[in-house]
Amino acid sequence: MLRGLYKVISPELFTIKKLDASVAVLFAIILMGFVGPTLYPVDPRAVVGPLESPPSDLYPLGTDAYGKDILAQLMSGIRGSLQIGVTAAAIALLIGVMVGLVAGYKGRLTESLLMMATDIVLLLPSILLMILIAAYFKWRDPLLVSIIIGVTSWPWVARAVRSQTLSLKNREFVYLSKMAGYGDLQIVVRDILPNIASYVFMAYVLLMSGAMIAETGLSMIGLGVTQGVTLGSILFWAQVLEAVRRGLWWWFIPPGAVLVALASSLLMLATALDEYFNPRLRGG
Amino acid sequence: MLKLGPIAIYLLRRSLFILSTFISFLLIIFALPRAIPGNPVATLLAQIFQQAQANPDTVKAVYKKFMEEFGLNKPLHEQLYDFLSRLMVGDLGTSIAFYPRKVVDLVASYLPWTLGLLIPATLAAWVLGNLLGAWAAYRRKTAVDNALLPTFLVLSQIPYYWLAMILLYVFAVYAKLFPVAGAYPPTMQPSLSSQFILGVLHHYTLPFLSILIVAIGGWAIGMRVLVIYELRSDYVEYSELLGLDDKKILGYVFKNSVLPQITGLALSFGTIMGGALITELVFSYPGTGYLLFRALSTLDYPLIQGTFIILVSTLLLANFIVDLLYAWIDPRIRVSYVGE
Repeated sequence: MLRGLYKVISPELFTIKKLDASVAVLFAIILMGFVGPTLYPVDPRAVVGPLESPPSDLYPLGTDAYGKDILAQLMSGIRGSLQIGVTAAAIALLIGVMVGLVAGYKGRLTESLLMMATDIVLLLPSILLMILIAAYFKWRDPLLVSIIIGVTSWPWVARAVRSQTLSLKNREFVYLSKMAGYGDLQIVVRDILPNIASYVFMAYVLLMSGAMIAETGLSMIGLGVTQGVTLGSILFWAQVLEAVRRGLWWWFIPPGAVLVALASSLLMLATALDEYFNPRLRGG
Repeated sequence: MLKLGPIAIYLLRRSLFILSTFISFLLIIFALPRAIPGNPVATLLAQIFQQAQANPDTVKAVYKKFMEEFGLNKPLHEQLYDFLSRLMVGDLGTSIAFYPRKVVDLVASYLPWTLGLLIPATLAAWVLGNLLGAWAAYRRKTAVDNALLPTFLVLSQIPYYWLAMILLYVFAVYAKLFPVAGAYPPTMQPSLSSQFILGVLHHYTLPFLSILIVAIGGWAIGMRVLVIYELRSDYVEYSELLGLDDKKILGYVFKNSVLPQITGLALSFGTIMGGALITELVFSYPGTGYLLFRALSTLDYPLIQGTFIILVSTLLLANFIVDLLYAWIDPRIRVSYVGE
């Protein structure tokens, strides 16, 4: 009975369903971060109520140890985290795609050197490198944190882009372009990039989710942004001020839940795209 | 000409790579503070110097010691030489926050707690994740897979420390089943008595689970895809046509699919380490994460650098062990690295 049902619902449709669900969650969170503050205009930095008040009609998600509104912080934190995610992922993508394209297309010594560097950065855990770099900066604005995350998260992208470039550069259309007298740059931009565009987009989605998780990790160890609110900075203060041991669940559960929802929906989006572009995973 | 066996060549290459990674890492450690405008280490030393002006000889002695260790007034190549030669003899400098304790001794006393948490949790998650992932792949397009896959996906995206906060809240603060902090009962002296060991295990459960549960997700996702690919290979089809038992085929498929997961084990060790360090903070677990947090909040640069050097050495050692294991398990290495 159940088997029959799954046969009726084709795998393609299931993929689209997964895509729908993840896009819906993403959209809801983005809406909450950008439109929410106009519907709920409370200053996340202002002391607005009693200390450590649990959720109530007046404070939908309660207040923290200073009497600041947590829902307002959460909306502001979503914006802050998304901003870092978008920027850091762009930086990592740029480095990863460039390294991968050049290594894969040029080959020889260039490839060996670039891949050696990639493997070295890959072997060193990015979160440790981030902590190490961030430790030397006293003031960290969102851009600096994005850069720190971006320059440490690119290696896997470089590896994947390189292997795809390797398989593309010996195809007929590349030979044709070469015979037509096109330069390396033109071939890479016109022939190779369009063919890996779907993969690059998927990598961007994954990098973004990774960057937002990394931001939270950096914040938790005390190296997040020094100005502004992010999901990580809310969790950091909850941790430092002992929210867990004092039972203030409304302080540490919402930021983590939103982060997990964001990251999982991005991952699910990437998986759905992968199944869509990669028929090997889709078929029976 | 000396003729090397294929396994020896493979291991030689891997050790050379791991060694060059370690050297690159040391260069990063050395270069970072010196490359950042205003050199944060120099700023810190200037602060200590200001205190030394106002304070008696003890602070002056501290200042002198750090000037010696960092040698910032010397030319760069001499600084690098000093840095490396001190490392060679295992000297990672003196801690500022815990002055006059040596960085090596400090990290050595915190490291066992981290490794004791990290290694069992990583291995257990690896085994469970691979089994669950293979099961999901085998039951592909059934309710089992449709329920397991989203669970794995969400699990893998949960930060360890957030799950740690929830477990701590539910099981320790709310239900009062487990202790709220530390690695052993604060009233007990560390010993090998059964009572103390039980106390340690009682404190160990929640931190262990918070790493285990999250790490399972990532392994399961990877294994599921590997098994799906493997199930479509020719030998599986052939075995099915031969009428071989499903369980037997699945055994072969599992063995073949698990090989890439062994390489993944080495890489994941680092990611899990990063997460576990922060998890320690949530449980006030006396591991290197806790030490690192102290070092970061007091800008104790010698301790920060030393902790990282030791953590990365441990990590690279783990990588080398995985390489050894791989050479031993995977027969293809014996074929592909033919000596010349």
